Amino acid sequence: MQPTTKSNDPFLKKKFIITSIIVLILTPLCLLLGVTLWQDRRYNILSLIMVILACIPFFLSFEHKKPKPREILIIAVMSAIAVAGRAAFVWAPAFKPVTAIVAITGFSFGPAAGFLTGAATAITSNIFCGQGPWTPFQMFAWGILGYIAGVLGKTDWMKYKIWLIIFGLLSGILYSFIMDIWTVISYDGRFTWSRYFAAAGTAIPYTATYAISNIIFLLLLAKPIGEKLKRIKIKYGLLEE
Amino acid sequence: MAFIDIQQLTFSYPQMEQPVLHHIDLSIEEGEFVVLCGVSGCGKSTLVKHLKREITPHGDATGSVLYNGTLLNELSDKIAASEIGFVMQSPENQIVTDKVWHELAFGLENLGFNTMTIRRRVAEMANFFGIQTWFRKNTMELSGGQKQILNLAAIMAMQPKLLILDEPTSQLDPIAASEFIATLHKLNKELGLTILLVEHRLEEVYPIADRVVIMDKGAIICNGTPKEVAKALQHVDQHHPMLGGLPTPLRIHHALKSQTNAPLTIRDGRQWLTNNFKAQEWQSKKIYDRSFEKKTVLSVKNAWFRYEKDGLDVLRGFSIDVNQGEVISILGGNGTGKTTALGVMSGILKAYRGKIMIDGKPLRKISNHELYHQCLAVLPQNPQTLFVTKSVISELQSTVETQNLTKEEENLQIQTIVRKLNLESLLERHPYDLSGGEQQKVALAKVLLLKPRILLLDEPTKGMDAASKTVLATLLEQLKEEGVAIVMVTHDIEFSASHSDRCALFFDGLIVSSDETRTFYSGNHFYTTAAHRMSRHLFSNAITCEDVIEQCNQQQNRMIHS
Amino acid sequence: MKAFANYHPIVIFLYFVFVIGLTMFYMHPIYLIISLAMSILLSLQINQKSFLHSLKWMVPLFVIAALINPLISHDGEKIILYIDDNPITIEAIVYGFAMSVMICTVIFWFGCYNKLMTSDKFLYLFGKISPAFALIISLTLRLVPRFQQQIGAITQAQRAVGMDVTSGNLLHRIKCGIHILSILITWALENAIETADSMKARGYGLPKRSTFSLFSFEKRDALTLTIMFILMTINVIGSFLGYTDYYFYPTFSELVLQPISLLLYTTYTLLLALPIIIELWEAFKWRSLISNN
Repeated sequence: MQPTTKSNDPFLKKKFIITSIIVLILTPLCLLLGVTLWQDRRYNILSLIMVILACIPFFLSFEHKKPKPREILIIAVMSAIAVAGRAAFVWAPAFKPVTAIVAITGFSFGPAAGFLTGAATAITSNIFCGQGPWTPFQMFAWGILGYIAGVLGKTDWMKYKIWLIIFGLLSGILYSFIMDIWTVISYDGRFTWSRYFAAAGTAIPYTATYAISNIIFLLLLAKPIGEKLKRIKIKYGLLEE
Repeated sequence: MAFIDIQQLTFSYPQMEQPVLHHIDLSIEEGEFVVLCGVSGCGKSTLVKHLKREITPHGDATGSVLYNGTLLNELSDKIAASEIGFVMQSPENQIVTDKVWHELAFGLENLGFNTMTIRRRVAEMANFFGIQTWFRKNTMELSGGQKQILNLAAIMAMQPKLLILDEPTSQLDPIAASEFIATLHKLNKELGLTILLVEHRLEEVYPIADRVVIMDKGAIICNGTPKEVAKALQHVDQHHPMLGGLPTPLRIHHALKSQTNAPLTIRDGRQWLTNNFKAQEWQSKKIYDRSFEKKTVLSVKNAWFRYEKDGLDVLRGFSIDVNQGEVISILGGNGTGKTTALGVMSGILKAYRGKIMIDGKPLRKISNHELYHQCLAVLPQNPQTLFVTKSVISELQSTVETQNLTKEEENLQIQTIVRKLNLESLLERHPYDLSGGEQQKVALAKVLLLKPRILLLDEPTKGMDAASKTVLATLLEQLKEEGVAIVMVTHDIEFSASHSDRCALFFDGLIVSSDETRTFYSGNHFYTTAAHRMSRHLFSNAITCEDVIEQCNQQQNRMIHS
Repeated sequence: MKAFANYHPIVIFLYFVFVIGLTMFYMHPIYLIISLAMSILLSLQINQKSFLHSLKWMVPLFVIAALINPLISHDGEKIILYIDDNPITIEAIVYGFAMSVMICTVIFWFGCYNKLMTSDKFLYLFGKISPAFALIISLTLRLVPRFQQQIGAITQAQRAVGMDVTSGNLLHRIKCGIHILSILITWALENAIETADSMKARGYGLPKRSTFSLFSFEKRDALTLTIMFILMTINVIGSFLGYTDYYFYPTFSELVLQPISLLLYTTYTLLLALPIIIELWEAFKWRSLISNN
């Protein structure tokens, strides 16, 4: 995967500003509101609101960018493949190619595409399986993994297997951690570190499966899919548009 | 000033030396129905894409295209998008949204119309095209024909003044294709819409066109009314691949070098035959050889199949015997379960009742490895389901590698198949950069590398033009000589009539009639070839163009000699 | 059936935001019971079959969730026994059950949400915030079943050339699975370009795009929305004034029935029961319409 966009992209700057505003001002505001008015309980509602808030800047900047049909299609296709892949491995709990596919899209098409692919995958796959309060968390978790992958894709690191393995491992852990936050606070709206570690502890088999499946799928898919995406980029001039 | 004016258009793709289009001059008047045809690769698709700015291919172009007196490039974005509509080949790929109603509204949303306007236009379209009953459905639930009608309707909702269609019926079954063409005819007659249709299946569109334009090697070789073009074609060589696509009456007329007015429809063709020839009994020299009994290699007896436990039966007592060295066609309407039958024959789907024997051995006792190596092979309907790699040559290599051969043997096998199928020029190309016919050939090469003795083909002629069909036919003939048993499931009546030994009609889960090809088609009244329908009042057993031509030639010769 | 489903998406969506938000917020036993009862009633009304089906795994989940709390939380005054020197308290047990009720109720409400808030309604609302992203979802929704079909076709075609997912050892099967996925991706990407062309050819990307939907906002939607907001406001004010607070630790707070809390219970029930009331009302109107003829 080669660096795809220049870093002095004006959209990136604008996105950064919007993101900063929302994350830096709105989030603490919400926290403050929650702590003072709700007497430090009800983290479940608060966390849902915050996760949704955190996703909004990405959508806004995507709207602002006036995406081309081909970019839209690439994101939709990759999300649909991730969803179909998730469904195809329905017999193997937690062993899913979703994170790998989202990450590979991020490697090739940058952080924004990575985030949107992750978010679209979460929403769509839950439309098929049933929405729940976990949807925003999944949206955020896969989105942010796609985003990180997009940032890493600008370096040369992802050409090496060792980095893919490290990324697969860490992304499995990160995904699990984000979803554990939800598990803990969904229980009684409270968040304590001891409970969080207890939850993370019981989730170790899952975390391990996430990590292993990520590594396997990344190692097996990164190169072939990367090549396919590159070919599409060249053949249809996605770069010049 | 014409509505559309193409002047001296020359175009070449980047990194290609030969231009695809040479100095094209073409003008189209408002309200005309123009059919553009030619063999695949002649540049017809490239030409029409130059009339739709949004999808014009990248490359070097000189010359100009005028729309209503304005250069195409100077039109406003809105007019360019709405007034020129473009329907593509694949019904699936053009659909954008998940709901039918949303698909109809999609273009209008892009143009920024308000809800009231969109509502009215969408309602109009749904009524005109008969979409009301599936208006709220998911687009995935529609049949191929419905999808293509939806694509057409979605474009018509934008009220285009020019409608361009690039082989819109090539992926449809014959009945859906006729319906689609009839809809186009209606649009042209009732709304005065200007239509430019690219087609290689001319049987139905030729008679209803106002003008026919024929392209060859990037240039226009004929341009005029259907009758004028028929006349002009007299100067074209008998064996030009273009001719295979013409309507049957015209082909016969052309082959006999008749100087009379050319018949365009079956009705005119019958009349013309009656006026010029008389009835006669005739025995074809080519007749199915029953004298020596061939070995039965695959036999299905009374197979029953359904997809779900509580589902409907798709096969209900399906039986067939396939002999070594023969070609059998299984014909029948869409969605009757022909492909399922093929699946059961190949062991991919398991019948819950019935017996399937290969070489006298029950299918379930044969391991998959034994079955699919040097025994039985399936060419799927969509060749793209077989492509794994980045080039044709590595496609072939990856297939050979599964057979545990030495390097030399592998190379030898690849070389043989490459020569047999004329793939030399394609070896380094990416499979997806090939045309539909070429993809089909590569897929067939892959399948043949497994050295099957039984070959099952699912719609092998789908989307192929006449020239590619000829190549396929020669290949089937060769395989037959080698003793391969071939079964094909097809909609293509004309192809099966010319190239199969036996035909079977599949209906309601089983084969209802099966016979030697000539007997089969001359016995059917509706479900038969155009040549037979045109000539049966004179020659009761002629079923292909060649048959009719042969008989007429005989009569002409006799008349000359007597 | 499902009169509420025909309301404007924004009404349905806000209803669930309010209901699920309040359900997650209130720990007051009476509120919990009201919400549980209403969610069960609505589920039975609109979603009977899958609701009863889901009980199979909901009941064990309920029990497990209820039992976890006394094992990890040892607060509370009413101790009944010790396990490994850790006190098990009645407060913790009751709290565990309360939590369990809340979690199950939320899941029931989401079950109703999934039934009433179909993908086209969700997309319509989402399209108001981010039309391009809503389009991506719409495209994805169309592509997923198509890809699943294609996976089937590829699997069959590959089996006949020796790549069989259903047999062989695990490594072989994973290899075949990847193989199929790889073929699918090439196919999907190559075909997607034509879809992109079709979007462009129909003017996607022109300025001032509008959004069309089959939904229209009627008087009854406005009325229902107003009622919902009034009921919601009453409840939120009640919470700020502390009428809905309830504590399990250090020991249970007292349940007092004041006129004002009765009013709050009633408004809460009314809010939650809106779809049921609408349904009954429509059924009544329908019957009288028929009997009048």
